[in-house]
Amino acid sequence: MTTAFVVALLAGTGSYLVLHRGSVRVIVGFVLLGHAAVVLLVASAGGDRRGVPLLDQVADVPLGDPVPQAFALTAVVIAFAVTLLLLGVLRAQGAAADDDAEDAEVEEQAGADAGRVGGHGDSGEVGRDG
Amino acid sequence: MALVALLAGLGLLAAAAPLLGRLLGRQVGWVLATGFAVAAAGVAVLAPGVLAGTPVEVSRAWLPSLGVEAALRLDGTSLVFVMVALVVGALVLAYCASYLDDEEARGPVPALLVVFAASMCLLVLADDLALLYVGWELTTLCSFVLLSTAGADAAAPARRALLVTVTGGLALLAAVVLLVAATGTSRISTITADPALVLGSPLAPWVAVLLVVAAATKSAQMPLHFWLPGAMVAMTPVSAYLHAATMVKAGIYLLVRVSPVYGGQPAWTAALLVLGLTTAVLGALLALREHDLKGVLAYSTVSQLGLLVAAIGVGTPTALAAALLHTAAHALFKATLFMLVGIVDHETGGRDVRDLAGLRHVMPRTALATAVAALSMAGVPPLLGFVSKEYLFQGFLSVDLAPWVGPVAALTAVAASALTFAYALRIVHGAFGGGEPSHPDLHEPPTAFLAPAALAALVGLVAGPAVSLADPVVAAATADALPGADAPEVYFWHGLSPELGLSALTIALGSLLFWRRDGVDRVLQSWSPPSVGRLFDRGHDGLLHTAGVLGRPDAAGAEAGHLVRVLVAVLALAVPAAVVLGPLPERTAGSQPAEWAVVGLLLVVVLVAACTRSALVLVCALGLIGLLVAGWFLLQGALDVAITLLLVEVLTAVAVVLALRGGDDRLPRAQRRRALPTGALAVGVALVAGAGTWAMTGRGDLSPVGERVLSGAEAATGGTNAVNVVLVDVRGLDTFLETVVVGVVALGLVMLGRGPAGRRRGPAGPEPASEDVVLRVGARVLVPLMLVISVWLLWRGHDQPGGGFIAALVLGSAVALGHLAGGQAPFARTPRWMAPSVLAGAGLCLALGTGLYPLLVGGTLLEPTDVPVLGALGLGYAVLFDVGVYLLVLSLAVAAVHSLDAGAATALPPSRGRPRTGGDEEPAPVRPATTVPEEVS
Repeated sequence: MTTAFVVALLAGTGSYLVLHRGSVRVIVGFVLLGHAAVVLLVASAGGDRRGVPLLDQVADVPLGDPVPQAFALTAVVIAFAVTLLLLGVLRAQGAAADDDAEDAEVEEQAGADAGRVGGHGDSGEVGRDG
Repeated sequence: MALVALLAGLGLLAAAAPLLGRLLGRQVGWVLATGFAVAAAGVAVLAPGVLAGTPVEVSRAWLPSLGVEAALRLDGTSLVFVMVALVVGALVLAYCASYLDDEEARGPVPALLVVFAASMCLLVLADDLALLYVGWELTTLCSFVLLSTAGADAAAPARRALLVTVTGGLALLAAVVLLVAATGTSRISTITADPALVLGSPLAPWVAVLLVVAAATKSAQMPLHFWLPGAMVAMTPVSAYLHAATMVKAGIYLLVRVSPVYGGQPAWTAALLVLGLTTAVLGALLALREHDLKGVLAYSTVSQLGLLVAAIGVGTPTALAAALLHTAAHALFKATLFMLVGIVDHETGGRDVRDLAGLRHVMPRTALATAVAALSMAGVPPLLGFVSKEYLFQGFLSVDLAPWVGPVAALTAVAASALTFAYALRIVHGAFGGGEPSHPDLHEPPTAFLAPAALAALVGLVAGPAVSLADPVVAAATADALPGADAPEVYFWHGLSPELGLSALTIALGSLLFWRRDGVDRVLQSWSPPSVGRLFDRGHDGLLHTAGVLGRPDAAGAEAGHLVRVLVAVLALAVPAAVVLGPLPERTAGSQPAEWAVVGLLLVVVLVAACTRSALVLVCALGLIGLLVAGWFLLQGALDVAITLLLVEVLTAVAVVLALRGGDDRLPRAQRRRALPTGALAVGVALVAGAGTWAMTGRGDLSPVGERVLSGAEAATGGTNAVNVVLVDVRGLDTFLETVVVGVVALGLVMLGRGPAGRRRGPAGPEPASEDVVLRVGARVLVPLMLVISVWLLWRGHDQPGGGFIAALVLGSAVALGHLAGGQAPFARTPRWMAPSVLAGAGLCLALGTGLYPLLVGGTLLEPTDVPVLGALGLGYAVLFDVGVYLLVLSLAVAAVHSLDAGAATALPPSRGRPRTGGDEEPAPVRPATTVPEEVS
């Protein structure tokens, strides 16, 4: 039952974040979606088995299924790699010199928005989603 | 064994060609030609046995589960095609030595020509359908790459050639699959030995259609011929080889090969006769219409291949013998003519007959060789082309379908041959005939340039009268192509036979066409045949356009546009899933109070993450969520996953901060008009995901695999950490491939961290020492400790929580810590041996080597095996593999720390170095980079 809630919260927040502006939100959203998938993987082990699958220890609870756990472990690492790649792309974008034109455009738009709401000084909501 | 040596030798020659090209320049052509000559001599040594009726065979298990063997077989038919490929190959490469300049010789062309020859040999030697298919596709790829070497002009023709011939390849693949399904074997000799095996199956007609389609694409039969004339953009040696001996002859070979099965079937005969003769006549008309010498030759190939296809379709022994003889004759005269036209082109800089004239005055020997080859093509006695054409006529007359078919087929062939005669004379007369030479200051090409072409022309001249010497070859080849048939004896003079009359008619009609050439040309020029090529291009463009329209939504700039559709699809999938899902089994898993606490905390943190406008808060929320999920894993008994996730979260936080440092903390404001639909979509996804999870988890019991691992892992592998046993021993190949992905990402990050010009853009040296004393001192103490812990975790991973992934992440965290501390801290500057590329390469080699080692000692891939020396030191097989995993994951962590570091704020464009406090009118001074890590530490 709790698994369903954990997956729902992670998947829902993840999808909400990836649909919004700003590359940081998108990246965090993808990480959360990855978490949801990994939780689902671990939960796919059947039964109420919560023992850590170490064979040389005497456990009072039945041992967990090691197969989904192994899947989940590599999935975590792959998701990490994907996150880093997204960050790398973001970083390469941010440093690209020819970004400036687009920046200016976004800034202008943001400035106009800020002007409409009443011009508080934070016209700097450029974001890093160049 | 000799056949394996032949193919291996050609492979080695191809591998050596680039090196030789660099050393010898264009002289490499002579070395490669010698190699071909040696290979041809080797095959010739095998010939007597083959001609006596004992084929050379060799086979080795390849895909035993499919019954596919790597089987090679040299019989009479293969012998003809192998010799044609090797002898013409030797001539063409010798020609390359003069034709190419040193720069081109250093390029890929010589090596590719050798690979082309090797592929063709593989194709005609293969005795297994799978191997035949491999050879077939290799020739397709070789010709595509060779065409592409001709530069930008060749792009479109090369693409056409590839698409057409690959389509044929797919047809062949389908035919192979159906043949195996129908007969239960993929052995070609077994299938051809018993035609009833195929013909008794209801699949037989489909196989025949697919085979004909495959052969028609490869051998340029109408209407799929258009790629071949386009392919003349290639440089001349490539054209000569492609037209004369390889590629287009593959389709002919395929049809000959399956003749024992389909030969003599009325539908087969009718189809191939119509296809071949239509192609022969139309191809010859198109050739006569051309003014470009190479174009004439290209359409001439189409026409000659048509004659061959028709003769194979007739399927009588005479017709097949004629087809095999004409294959050899065509190879000789076509290679010669291409090489000679190449010389004319090379010397005069043009090859349009309207611009050339009288070259016999300045290049008499070239003119003579061209005339000999062209007369052979025209079928004038006593040349080889005359003899083979006589037999073709005889073959057409022998067709066994209806009484009227034979004469009609023969007369159609006469028409095609008369046209051939006319364009053959046109080549000679157009370039070399006439009075005043168009290029009076030219002179004869060097002997070495002319020799290969002249030699082939000479062979064509001598082989005509001496054709009875080739009788054993033709007889053996025909007997193998049509078992049980008596091949006709091949000799030069047939007496006053009907085919001699047809030859005379051919020459008479051809002379008439040549005599009235101006009128003929006017008629032909006024005829504008429908261009299949243009039709094909239009279809191709239309396809691309349609794809563009279909893909336009995905080409949009914003991420949200793509993702919305995926997420909506999730919702849409949920509806049928809910309908299909039957009654669910009882739940077996319960919930603990601690889990509800995790859910409650998670709810708070995800709400913060969704609503915050500060990047820092978002990153903190991300870390907290990771912590909570790791805690949840702990509650589930997934200790290794929890540790991995914790370490990943630490490194993710570091990486995010490094990538964002110096940038703007403010996230873009969520657009209000988007908030409602995206919120609704997110809630929908959450509901679907939650419901799916509730419905499909926590209801079964331990999986059978899991049960086997839990009960048998310790005995079988000696490891007690079941998760690590699964990773390393049970699904080692999966783990290996996953770590390869990790290594690839590491290298990708290194590339991303460089500027467009490959310039390193990240921080050049170590960070200046951090001002934070805790961080500085902490790094000094913690980094060595973490190094030790990492090695310890790696070593014990097979038995206790730990292993390559976790250990590498610990060391990766140490690297990150040292990098942030800067100054004199360990890992403030990455040692050279810890460069991501070095680590990834070493890890890949180690993991792969460990995986392959058992194969050497007779085991299977990644099978746990005792390693001699290291095993005695207590380092088991599993640990060695895990070290490979360790190095690959470590390369990712190091690459992340070093490539993502955005460096000091000054590295960013000025507009990004904004003050973090809103409302500040004055642009704040650029903040020093060192203050950023303080915020995270």
